[in-house]
This record gives sequence, structure tokens and C-alpha cells, in this order.
Amino acid sequence: MLTLEGVQVNFGGVQALKSASFSVAEGESIGLVGPNGAGKTTLFNVISGVVRPTAGRLDFRGTSLLKLPEWKRARLGIGRSFQIPRPFGHCTVRENLLVAQRFGAGKKDPKRIDEILDILNLRDKADRDATTELALTEHKALEVGKALATEPSLLLLDEVLAGLETSSKRAFMERLAAVRDRYRLAMVIIEHDIATIAALCPRVLVLNFGQIIADGSPDAVFRDPEVIRSYTGETTLAEAS
Amino acid sequence: MTTTLLNRIVLIAALAIAYVGIPILFGGNAYVLGLIVAALTIAGVAVAWALLGNLGGMVSFGHAAFFGVGSYTSAVLAMKLGVPVFAAMLLGGVGAAVSSVAMLPALRLRGPYFALAILAYAHIFQILATEMTPVTGGAGGLLSIPRFPTVLGFDFGEKLGGYLIVLTIVVLAAFAYDAIRRSTWGLALKAMHDTEVATRVVGVPSTHLKAAMLVLSAFITGVVGAFNAHFISFLDPDYAFSSGWTVLPIAAAIFGGYRTVWGPVVGALAIYLVDQLLFKPILPHGHQMILGVLLCAMILFSPGGLMPALRRRTVKESRHAHA
Repeated sequence: MLTLEGVQVNFGGVQALKSASFSVAEGESIGLVGPNGAGKTTLFNVISGVVRPTAGRLDFRGTSLLKLPEWKRARLGIGRSFQIPRPFGHCTVRENLLVAQRFGAGKKDPKRIDEILDILNLRDKADRDATTELALTEHKALEVGKALATEPSLLLLDEVLAGLETSSKRAFMERLAAVRDRYRLAMVIIEHDIATIAALCPRVLVLNFGQIIADGSPDAVFRDPEVIRSYTGETTLAEAS
Repeated sequence: MTTTLLNRIVLIAALAIAYVGIPILFGGNAYVLGLIVAALTIAGVAVAWALLGNLGGMVSFGHAAFFGVGSYTSAVLAMKLGVPVFAAMLLGGVGAAVSSVAMLPALRLRGPYFALAILAYAHIFQILATEMTPVTGGAGGLLSIPRFPTVLGFDFGEKLGGYLIVLTIVVLAAFAYDAIRRSTWGLALKAMHDTEVATRVVGVPSTHLKAAMLVLSAFITGVVGAFNAHFISFLDPDYAFSSGWTVLPIAAAIFGGYRTVWGPVVGALAIYLVDQLLFKPILPHGHQMILGVLLCAMILFSPGGLMPALRRRTVKESRHAHA
């Protein structure tokens, strides 16, 4: 459904993405990992239209995304969350979801809003101010909820588990699995927690210095010496430890 | 009694006073009625300014341009092409809306940069009005602009008729503002304020929405400008594009509460009428100073403006009554 070929992004003299090429199939769940500054969020920004690539091809279900603004990509079915939650100011949780549903890709079914609130455990917070009255886990859930309310076929989740303590992380992971199973959508998840990625995604991409250096099953990828070196500077986990 | 019901009762009572009470009380007092018309003219621009500021998130220092373009469009159409005055007034709004399209590239600018761009833009139109002498009469302006006609025996060209016209324009503008605010468009516009990119990635065409608010705001301001041209029957560039048509509505909207629908109207009536009826007789020269001090005090002690302050007080009193 999504194909990237030779995607490059330059910020002045800095090359944030060198030549990223990969594709995502319908319903596929992919983990995107890499050290800090590897270009993961830039890749999401390119796919969602927040950043325009300097070179490369970017197609979604046969349509080139290159000239489309963010909002048109959302209406094609690309939903995303932000690493730092960005709730809509002075709006309740439900209003956040309503805005996303009204302008997003899908039907405007009010039942879907309630369903999302239930799946993400936000039902009792529906009428709270999204900016000031939510805890971190709830903010993260709302980020996912907004993306889901647009009725995407591809969901890009940027470190939605970051900053959560272990028990919250586990509960959140279960919610993500429920989302994946309920809506049968393709997901690309940026995450540093290897166990989480391995549990949710049968395929993992590793990005380092703006290049994809590994693509395969979690087991194969996390044993790849180049991947280990990119994280630790050492060639084996034993050396690293 | 719920807050919504209370608001509706207050609104119906206020409209009854405006449409029935004021004409009965001041219908024969041309001076006071003239002041109320002037206050409502400012109120109309203030509502349009607040719509752009509150919903569109854009601070405009150039609404005088839309006021001037609306007034000249309407006056020229009525004088040179014989367009009926009421139709010309609406076309004045259309003219102002069309003129705002030239401002659309500035929507990419944020904060003070947008405000400065629109300020510069207002000056361009003033220069055009001065230089296009065959159409606009140049610096000398236009005299004997057709007044509002008599309809079914009621003379809308008189002060009372003008009052009812401008009152209707202001009420319709406020209703439009309220309808947009309550819609999902309004919700999206509100959502855009803090994080525009987050709204765009859920499908909100943020620039289009802001453009729609700019065009609507310009249309309302243009209609008010057109009304004013036919009411006073005279125009010149210095008057039509005066910075007063920007500054006074901003002061009124901030004083009344620009984040509320009726705040700009209440603010315009309060500051203009209090200034003209109370401060001016006491201090004929420099009475605006007192107004300035009042505005500063309002910003310091109730930054949200008069309407939110009154609402807080009403809620507090109602809680005391139930305690």
C-alpha cells in the first residue's frame, strides 16, 4: 500500500534521510527502530506530509504523495501520532476525536468515537479538557485515538509508549494490539523497547544515520551485527554487555 | 435554571429591547440615536474582527481596508451604475471579500507578521482610492451618496431606519459567528490555535479554513462600511480607510471580550456611548484618555473582557443563591 523509493531529506547541510526505500503491505505491522537522531520521526514526517523530501518517490495505493499536503494524505487514509502529544487546545477529549473524524478519511459514524474511547480506555475522560486534565498515558492514548478517528488504513505511531512506566506500558501495548486486531490496519510503530516491538510487529526496520540498515523479523534483525553496532558501537551483544 | 436557558432568555430580552425598546425610547432623539448607530457600526466591525481573531487565530490591523473597500464599492455601484442601495450594500460586502483574496498569501504568516502585512495592505487600498479619481472622486471623495430608500412607507434613510439596518447587520453577523463557532468548522478552528500541524495531519485544511474566516470577516466589515457610506451619504479616502475603523473595533472587542460572540457588541456600545455621553461632556478635549485608562484596567483585571467578567459574577451570585 505504501512504497518509498530513494527518499532523501536535507535540512540545510544535514542529511536527515539518505536514501530510504521500503514498502508496507495492507494490514502489515512494522516496527521502526534506530538510535536517537537516526531519522525515524523525519520518515514519519515525510510520509504524513509535514516535511517535503528533497528527492525520491512516495506512493500510497498507487497515488504519488509528493505534492499532496498533510490534510489530503490524512483523507487518503494515512493517520499518525506525534512523539510529544499535541492535544487540540481548549477542546475536550471527545471534541479532539470529533475534529479528527469530521475531517478525516472515513464515515462520520458517532458510534466509532465511543468505540475508540472504549478501546483506549478514555470513556470516563471524554468530557475532560484534553490539554489540562489528562495524565501522560491518557495523552498518549488520545494521540492514537485522534489518528484512529480519521479512519486510517495506515497508522504511524511515533513512540506512543515512551515515558510510560512498565505496568502502563503493558496495558497500552494490549490496547495497541486490540486496535490492530479490531481495525485490521497497517501500522508502523517507532519504539525503543525491543520487547514491545517484537510482541507487536512481525517485521522490523532499522534506521541509522538516515539509512535503512536492516529489514526482517525481530529475531533476525536484533541479532544482526550491524544493528547491534549501530546501537552500541560493538559487534555482538556479548561484547556490548 | 440552566445556563443555556438563561443565556437564551437574556438574548431574547436584549433583542426585544434593541428592536422595540430603543426605537420607542430614543426614536425621537436624533442625537442619541445617531450615537447608537455609530456604536453599532463599530460593533459590526468588532464582531468581524473578533471572528477572525478568535476563530481564525489572526490578529488584524487592517480591517479599515475592508471597511473602505466595502463603502466605496457600494457607493460607486449605487451612484454610477444605479444599483439599488440595499443590493449595493451587499455587493459592497462582496467587494471587500474579493479584496481580501489578495491577502490570502499572508495567511502563511503568523503573529505580528500577519498583523503587519494586513496593515500595509490597508494603506494600498487607501492610496488606490485616492488615485483612482474618475471612479472614487479622488481625495475630494464622493458627495450625495444615495441614502437608503423608503420601503412600504418606512423611510430607511432616516436615523431610525439606519438604526434598524445596522442593528440587523450586527445581529446577523453575531449569529453567523455563533453558528460557525458551534460547528465542527469552529471546533477545528479552535483546535488549530495551539497546534496547526496536528490538525492538518487529521485532515483539517487549516489554510482553507483560515481563508474562509478572512473572507467572511472582510464581507461583514464591507457590508458595515457600505451601510455607513449610505447612512452618512459622504466618503473620502482619509475617512473611509481611517485607522479608527481598525483601532476602535479592536478596543471594543477586547473591552467586551473578543472570545465571546456578544462581547464585541457590548464592548462597542459600552466604550463608544460612555465616551460620548459621559466622558466627552466632562473632558471635551482628550476624553479618549479616560477610555484608554479604562481599557488598560480591563486588560489588567479581566483579560477576558467585560462579558466573561459579567458571566463569572452571574455564576457566583447564582451559587450564593443556591447555597
